[in-house]
Amino acid sequence: MSQLSGSTSEVGPSSSQSDDGTSRIPPQPPPPSSSGVSSSGSAAAADQSSRQSNLQRIQQRKQQVYNWPHNKKLLKLAIYSACQADECKCNGWKTPIPPAKSPRVEVSQPLASFTDPCRSCTHVLETHVSHLAPLSEEEVNRLLGMVVDVENIFMSMHREEDADTKRVYYYLFKLLRKCILTMTRPTIEGPLGQPPFERPSIAKAITNFVLYKFGHLAQREWQTMYDLAKMFLHCLNHWNFETPSARRHVTAEEVSAYKINYTRWLVFCHVPAFCDSLPHFETTLVFGRTLLRAVFRSVYRQLMDKCHNERDRMPPEKRVLVLTHFPRFLSLLEEEIYAQSSPIWDPEFKQVPPSHLQASLETKLPAASVTTASSLRRSGEFEKLTVPPSDKDNFTTVNLSPGFGKKQLREGGTASLGEKRAASVIPEGPASCRQSDAKKRRLVPEPMEDLPEATVVEIIATIDSPPNMVGPEAVFPENAPRDETAKQEELRGIISFHVVGNSLTSAVSKQTMLWLIGLQNVFSHQLPRMPKEYISRLVFDPKHKTLALIKDNRPIGGICFRTFMTQGFTEIVFCAVTSNEQVKGYGTHLMNHLKDYHIGHNIYHFLTFADEFAIGYFKKQGFSKDIKLARTIYQGFIKDYEGATLMHCELDPRIVYTEFIAVVRKQKEVVKKLIEMRQQEVQKVHPGLTCFREGVRGIPVESIPGIRETGWRPVARATRVARVTEECNDPDTLLTTLKNVLTTVKNHTAAWPFLKPVDKNEVPDYYDHIKYPMDLKTMGDRLKARYYTTRRLFIADMTRIFSNCRLYNSPDTEYYRCANALEKYFQTRMRELGLWDK
Amino acid sequence: MAFSADAAAFQVQERLKGLYRLVHDIEEERIRSEHNLNNITKAHEKINQEEKVSPYYQQKLKGLYSAAVADAEQEEELIRSALTKVNEIRSIRNERRIQARNAGNKETIRRGALMKMLQSSAQTLPLWVGKLGEKAPALCGAVPAEPTYIAKMGDMVAALVKGAEEEENWILAEVVQFNAATNKYEVDDIDEEQKDRHILSRRRVVPLPLMRANPETDPHALFPKGSIVMALYPQTTCFYKAIVNQLPTSSTEEYEVLFEDPSYADGYSPPLTVAQRYVISIKDKKGKSQT
Repeated sequence: MSQLSGSTSEVGPSSSQSDDGTSRIPPQPPPPSSSGVSSSGSAAAADQSSRQSNLQRIQQRKQQVYNWPHNKKLLKLAIYSACQADECKCNGWKTPIPPAKSPRVEVSQPLASFTDPCRSCTHVLETHVSHLAPLSEEEVNRLLGMVVDVENIFMSMHREEDADTKRVYYYLFKLLRKCILTMTRPTIEGPLGQPPFERPSIAKAITNFVLYKFGHLAQREWQTMYDLAKMFLHCLNHWNFETPSARRHVTAEEVSAYKINYTRWLVFCHVPAFCDSLPHFETTLVFGRTLLRAVFRSVYRQLMDKCHNERDRMPPEKRVLVLTHFPRFLSLLEEEIYAQSSPIWDPEFKQVPPSHLQASLETKLPAASVTTASSLRRSGEFEKLTVPPSDKDNFTTVNLSPGFGKKQLREGGTASLGEKRAASVIPEGPASCRQSDAKKRRLVPEPMEDLPEATVVEIIATIDSPPNMVGPEAVFPENAPRDETAKQEELRGIISFHVVGNSLTSAVSKQTMLWLIGLQNVFSHQLPRMPKEYISRLVFDPKHKTLALIKDNRPIGGICFRTFMTQGFTEIVFCAVTSNEQVKGYGTHLMNHLKDYHIGHNIYHFLTFADEFAIGYFKKQGFSKDIKLARTIYQGFIKDYEGATLMHCELDPRIVYTEFIAVVRKQKEVVKKLIEMRQQEVQKVHPGLTCFREGVRGIPVESIPGIRETGWRPVARATRVARVTEECNDPDTLLTTLKNVLTTVKNHTAAWPFLKPVDKNEVPDYYDHIKYPMDLKTMGDRLKARYYTTRRLFIADMTRIFSNCRLYNSPDTEYYRCANALEKYFQTRMRELGLWDK
Repeated sequence: MAFSADAAAFQVQERLKGLYRLVHDIEEERIRSEHNLNNITKAHEKINQEEKVSPYYQQKLKGLYSAAVADAEQEEELIRSALTKVNEIRSIRNERRIQARNAGNKETIRRGALMKMLQSSAQTLPLWVGKLGEKAPALCGAVPAEPTYIAKMGDMVAALVKGAEEEENWILAEVVQFNAATNKYEVDDIDEEQKDRHILSRRRVVPLPLMRANPETDPHALFPKGSIVMALYPQTTCFYKAIVNQLPTSSTEEYEVLFEDPSYADGYSPPLTVAQRYVISIKDKKGKSQT
């Protein structure tokens, strides 16, 4: 990672640790402010750390303020809040005793109390804060955060010498004050426009540049270039750009263009970096060619100066990187930036990176260009349990795969898919991986409930230990993951996966042609109901591609697909494995490769028309008949097959699908181990319950002796699945799910007594006993009327049906039995769908 | 014999211990034999030097040879008892499996796993190692069962069953029991997804080999090239008519067969390999081709 950063002197002041209960912003002078030249070059060495500590101090200050007692917070806010007295126009409480010589009147109020009158409007302080009383603590804290920011901006404004910059600070100062007054969120509108200001962004262009110029390099060299690109982007994101007045411009156009961009940068990137009340954007993500052209040469120069100045302090390997490779990198970049036309700025830039790089590009470069916070988010929950992401290798699930050898095995391979992610991400063997896992964990703030790291390491070690890998299970791995064999074979080079396709414009290798013919044979043999000619036409169509499964240099299976780039989906056309190679997990592994391939190409939707034999397969591969894609997206694009079912699968870019099963397995193992550990802690045998023999029908779960010790909690906290569904704020999903449940319940053999409301003519006294009747038809009507906004309402009505029945009828009746049977069925259904609590 | 899970584990453990000891004994025995064999070689060298066999050496050689034969027999004995142990473990496990199934807790296995188990159980089928001049017994390789043979419970058989649309298929099945009164077998489809139990007359049930034949020692116990057989189509649980294309040349190799298959232009599938256990002779022509 780059320690090198641009000139990053801080504008925001640092706050004192004064604990006098007031809001003294210390007069401690921050480093000189943003006039680019002065703060760069030789002065830059300490910048990074001073910037960091400034940011930290601001954060500390905010935390400190947030921890104040509520009254103190109000006293503080009074200074920025309008007087609520009738017709009073005063917009901030002022201390009645003007401090002697302080230039900052409003920030020093040590002795205020709620009864002190305001110097300007004479109303007491309390009237300035009366409207804040109903606000939540969170909202009050948000306002206080803005107060801290306002004060920091105020300081910066005073220190700023450049007139243009000063004006911008003043504007932001006023904006934030207004937001505190009106209790709104700051939004910056007006002639500056909204980010992103230019497409493609600098980050995208640099990504393109690395691909364009270095895509042909071997992995190691490519990695170097990629690191440099990351470093450069990092510098830009933290760079202090020159004020327009400090620049020598050639043309008036340039002057005004730079002024606009400079102002945008201040408002959207620079100031929000330390005033987090304002929405923050990364420079390299919202600016494009114009800004980079304007600043590149000076940035280049200053960076080089800085590198030379710091050379003695660098570790040797970094010195080589920074002094040998970086200048070359920057000068190549310079050419592209100032060239009349360069492909790197092409918004449609598409250069398929060499396969061994694809994955790392997709998973890593974006991470370089977005903020740390979002890159952490990106890597998501999926691999959290095992290896927390770090900046260095963002996607870590591969560490769990058995495929450590992939890299060595296939380094020389051409376009084979198998190595994709693994090759560029896994730097070392399993043992050392585990060590580095442990290291990485520490980088990530651990959530409260997380396990101690030592426990995780211990568990992983047990799971991976050889004694676990032998024994009868190893001989008959009945429960091995479906794709395990296929993965092993791929690892050993017995099978391989390749994406092949015909082309009319460029030469197609003989190998590819032979494979395509082989694939056509596999498809036409395995799909006897498809006309042969039709299969040939699609397999050899240049718009279709086929993921081929190759064994002994012959295709034994494949998935033929067509990608609709503009629509963002891929249609799966044929999918087959030759009969004597079936049931070996190849189909699953094929589909997982296809998913990974598409994530690498930013396509996240699969659609396919599955015939009756294929539906089962596609279901296992995560497809559903429930099409989540808008019809307009695919209508008219996808081939329609009669008698086949359209199925859809949405991909999650955070998942490496070829490793998915292994990861989930491992997670399961870990959880199992944890349960075992817990069991050993609380093992205790309780005598059985006798109350049921005495005629008690049911007791609350929590009164079962020992159940709490096992970690069971009352239903206040629903199960995980249930929570998800409950929190699911998509009413349509809930509607569909409940509709399904209702339909199946209605179709149940025990449902007949409950289909309609009880007829008063048939059962005259029914409504004398039953005050709240309910039946399945009424439920259907309520469902249609969207009455069931939560599952609980639905469950309540359904339960009502059964309790009514049991209330009115005696236990030996058919009705009573029906109620019991149907209730049991209903609960099972709901449990299956994760809609049941217990 | 019936076992509880623990008892079975204990029994297996005991046999594994025995096996462990036997492996060491075998090694010791081998070293001893080696010693004698060396002596024989030395004796021969001496005789060659002297260019005549003196009565002393005659006597000595005779002694050495009988010792070597005894050693070899001893070693054979040990190896056979080791094999017996292995077989016992197999049958205990099989017993457990049948028991578990009868108890109703039949663990469902995925098809992929099932295929793998079928494959590995064929590969580990006991190898017939006959004594000198002993012929391969029934149900070894291609040698058919005696006409009166009744397959035991848990044995694998090929069974001719009626499908949904009146078509008949030879499927891989497991014997549940034989009813001597009705002279009928009760068999289970090995493919659990079918969940079918069939009651079939004896001629519709063909027991699968219980032992592999070693092509190097018992070539006559293999189907000759060109013979028409029924063979399990790879990765399925059905037997189809096929022609033997190539014989296994070692005990671990499989047959290479061509399946009758009209969906291929020449009417036969490309050569596919099938383990000895799943190649049987069937007289009628009910077999159907893979589609």
